[in-house]
Amino acid sequence: MSSFGPSSFLLDDYLEKLPGATFRKLYQQPSTAFAIFRRMLPPLAKVYVQALLYSPTPLTTNDIELWTQPEGKGTSNRAIARLRSLHIAQLSQSTRAKKAQDIQLTANFKKSLRLALEGGGSHNSFGVPSTLPTDPKIHIQYLDHWAGRIWQDILYYVVNSVPMKANESGGRHGSGGGGPKRAVRELLKMGGLVREGAGGLVQISEHGFNFLLQEANAQVWTLLLLWLEAADRNKALAKEQGTDITGTAIDNVEMLSFLFMLASLELGRAYDTSALTETRKNMLPALADFGLIYIDRDRPQQYYPTRLATTLTSLSTMRSVSASIDAATKKTPGDAGSLGADSTPTAPADENGGIVVETNYRIYAYTSSPLQIAILKLFCRLHMRFPNMVTARLTRESVQEAIKEGITANQIIDYLVAHAHPQMRRAAAAKGTTVIPPTVMDQIRLWQLESQRMQKTPGFQFKDFESVEEYRQLAEYATEIGVLVWKDDRKGTFFVSKVEQIREFLKARKKGN
Amino acid sequence: MPRAIRGVLIECEPAIKSILIHIDSTQLNNDAIIEDLDETHLMVKEQMVKTLQARLDEKLKETYRVEVPLDDSDEDKGM
Repeated sequence: MSSFGPSSFLLDDYLEKLPGATFRKLYQQPSTAFAIFRRMLPPLAKVYVQALLYSPTPLTTNDIELWTQPEGKGTSNRAIARLRSLHIAQLSQSTRAKKAQDIQLTANFKKSLRLALEGGGSHNSFGVPSTLPTDPKIHIQYLDHWAGRIWQDILYYVVNSVPMKANESGGRHGSGGGGPKRAVRELLKMGGLVREGAGGLVQISEHGFNFLLQEANAQVWTLLLLWLEAADRNKALAKEQGTDITGTAIDNVEMLSFLFMLASLELGRAYDTSALTETRKNMLPALADFGLIYIDRDRPQQYYPTRLATTLTSLSTMRSVSASIDAATKKTPGDAGSLGADSTPTAPADENGGIVVETNYRIYAYTSSPLQIAILKLFCRLHMRFPNMVTARLTRESVQEAIKEGITANQIIDYLVAHAHPQMRRAAAAKGTTVIPPTVMDQIRLWQLESQRMQKTPGFQFKDFESVEEYRQLAEYATEIGVLVWKDDRKGTFFVSKVEQIREFLKARKKGN
Repeated sequence: MPRAIRGVLIECEPAIKSILIHIDSTQLNNDAIIEDLDETHLMVKEQMVKTLQARLDEKLKETYRVEVPLDDSDEDKGM
């Protein structure tokens, strides 16, 4: 499953917690089935889905085993486990072959994915383009610029690098203060990304650090999932109190499928709000607060998905998402808050990073973005600041300080690589080395090791097996699905990071006996 | 049916492990460690990990000092 970035894990975790009934409802929407297929599956699982999609009869696990080489058995089992945990495929005792199981796609998923591919049906699942005339000033660049600004406002707030001044983007939608909307701020607090310190000042938490160093795409998902959870909680709360919940409570199935639908829309195109259900219409203002959609004040019956929304389910374009956001916000002048109203986003493509790292741990960052400077400050000691550049240094203290806050060495390195100056890339490509000098990368990792004396893995320990055979089978299964962390054959005990599928396996095994 | 116990698996050097065990028995009333698994692994209660980590950091601070890195100043160089 190496093709997954760590970024998709959050969404994974959320989806895995959902009950089967929720999945069945979700898969009624072709756009959702398609989005899950595109984003959430490892390549081999995609192959299986494609094979099963138009197969009139279920295949047996024996058939599938023939498609992979023996050494690929683990990968294959993981792929199937994934399909099961997402309720895409189901296994049942085969009627035709002994000791084999039938595998087939779940009915809703199959139907919806077929519809998505064939384009049939009248489900409006991929959005209804607006037929009304559109404003010519709203084009892709405009949307990129707008979404980038909203998103950067949110990031500024998390970093808390700048005082909250009234600025353009806040005023545009009628809210008074600058920075993100109140609801967004509440959400960030609730999600533990920031916490309120003494005197009502907002401080970044360790989750916040992690959040900042993620890819833009992963950040969007983090925020959206927080939002979904908040909605869930509100609903539960309202139910307890027996209060009227219309308007505030939103069905999470409806929310998720709307997000997946947004991801399938076309950037720069206006869509019709009247084709949306009431729930979805209620979601629009919040999504506009996140910068996922743009609603023109004069034409409230139209909404435009922004790049943040349309790339939600992409895997390969993550880099270009952050690049485009960077490009969109590149024109940000040095002093935050005074974002020029008419600063047009004419970004040359190679301007998405400006960090130079030298072998002596010096950092020169060609940027005037307060956000980038604030992020650098998380793990570097800043030295000097010029109109278009800051100098900084990676030190043992600065890196360990960051690690104490929950940032990992790899996150720091990834960040430096992702934002490296084009010159660094060119030099590295010419010499065939890594973008960041290897000594620096190693040292950052060593600094982490120094302060991280223990590796922690939350999970479950299994012990007291009835027989050696039971232990062996279960341990083998845990290895195959990739959750086994530690085992001791002699003592007959092992430790897994995830328990759900092991439980199922145990149950199935018990029935089989 | 086997038993499943919720907890946090801690992997560390043997030296660190013995410090952890010492901390657990002297300061934490044997309340953090569930099981001593092998030379480099411990099973610890989820809610005690933070405390254990903090006590370990304290302990290491007493015993472990790093030399102050040379601080070459940027000011002196070719300005």
